[in-house]
Amino acid sequence: MTTLSFNNYDFTLENKGPFSSLYFNKELKMAICFADEEYIPIDNFKEMFLHISVLIETYEIKHLVFDKQKLRTFHQPSMEWYFAVWKPAIKNKGLVNHYKILPKLDWFEKAVEAGKYEIFQKFSKEILTGIRITYINSVEEAIECVI
Amino acid sequence: MDASYFKEQLQAKEDMLAQTTRFLVQTQHSLEEKNKELLLANNEIFDSISFASRIQNSLLPDIDILKIFFKDASFKVMQQIGIGGDTVFIKNTNNGVVFGLLDSTGHGIPAALLSISGTLLLKELMTSMEIDNPQTLFNLLNYQLHKTFNNSRSSIAHKEGVFFSFSSTQNKLIYSSAKGKALLLRPTGEIEELANTKKSLGDDANTEFELFEMKVMSGDKLIMYSDGLTDQFGGSNNKKFSRDRLKKILSKSPRENATEMVKKIEKEFIIWKSTNAQTDDVSFMIIEF
Repeated sequence: MTTLSFNNYDFTLENKGPFSSLYFNKELKMAICFADEEYIPIDNFKEMFLHISVLIETYEIKHLVFDKQKLRTFHQPSMEWYFAVWKPAIKNKGLVNHYKILPKLDWFEKAVEAGKYEIFQKFSKEILTGIRITYINSVEEAIECVI
Repeated sequence: MDASYFKEQLQAKEDMLAQTTRFLVQTQHSLEEKNKELLLANNEIFDSISFASRIQNSLLPDIDILKIFFKDASFKVMQQIGIGGDTVFIKNTNNGVVFGLLDSTGHGIPAALLSISGTLLLKELMTSMEIDNPQTLFNLLNYQLHKTFNNSRSSIAHKEGVFFSFSSTQNKLIYSSAKGKALLLRPTGEIEELANTKKSLGDDANTEFELFEMKVMSGDKLIMYSDGLTDQFGGSNNKKFSRDRLKKILSKSPRENATEMVKKIEKEFIIWKSTNAQTDDVSFMIIEF
């Protein structure tokens, strides 16, 4: 499938990797990344985010949705790379919102909290600022926030 | 997906588990520390309130003064947290005794401060100015409370209550009441509610409290109480104790002496409250003529 539809907005497939897929909608200036497997190895994770970077610069993407509902493994090194490398690199490129959809699992949420806590201890507080991160329940909710 | 993917995922899962466990242990440790701090703070507050309670209780008057003039007298003060805004007042005068019950705004520490300041002010008015007329005392206390605590910027101190003055030479009982709750129980079990001025002390500097005169006979009992008694929630349907319930208790054995009656009301109140929290300061006083 090369397009997906949410709230009557069509999202075009930009990249399909072995563990994730990336869609976007030009009108909404929104990209959606889906985790398609329980675990995304760090190299594939980085590759996916580099695709997102290109998308942000090419289509002036302002809103990114990361649907992690299929994930069952929280990978700390990937998260550290996201905060310490990717986020600073994308700063001032126009991305405003990063919406995250977590699996509806208490233990996963706790693992995310633990990961964030370690990042917070390891890096300066500045690392958590910049792009606005919001936890939501569905892609539709993100679109509602944007339109 | 090949075996290396699952191997890597397994390792990542183990790392995640270890990290989350570390975080939870740290959180638990931090909560235990906070709990210790809270416990310490709680103990300090509890000790402080216990001592303050002893101070406030030591300011309560000697009931024996009333027993000089009347057949029997007894009171009970049960502050919500050990200290509070309810107080009873008894002071002998040149030819009799002044007594009453006052209920200050709210409860807890602020109410206790208001209660103590009110009592001291009344004592001052009675000793230095030799005032024993309840109407004059209430008018002056009202003015002073309003002037000191309640102005255009804030309104923090109000009192309700009833004050009696008994003259042994004239055998006359007069009183003033600021929304005060008082009943007269006849030996037959009949109960009369005493009239009051429908204004609180401290509300309006210009309030003129009325002076009432009472005719009492031997065996009559005068009951004063604060709304904390009748407003307490409890019973099987979690309702208010109510004035009707109080009247029923009183009229059941009207010839019982004041001391026994106070004990009985206290017992009924405790049973009614049961495991519910005490909602307000509670006080009551009974005089037997």
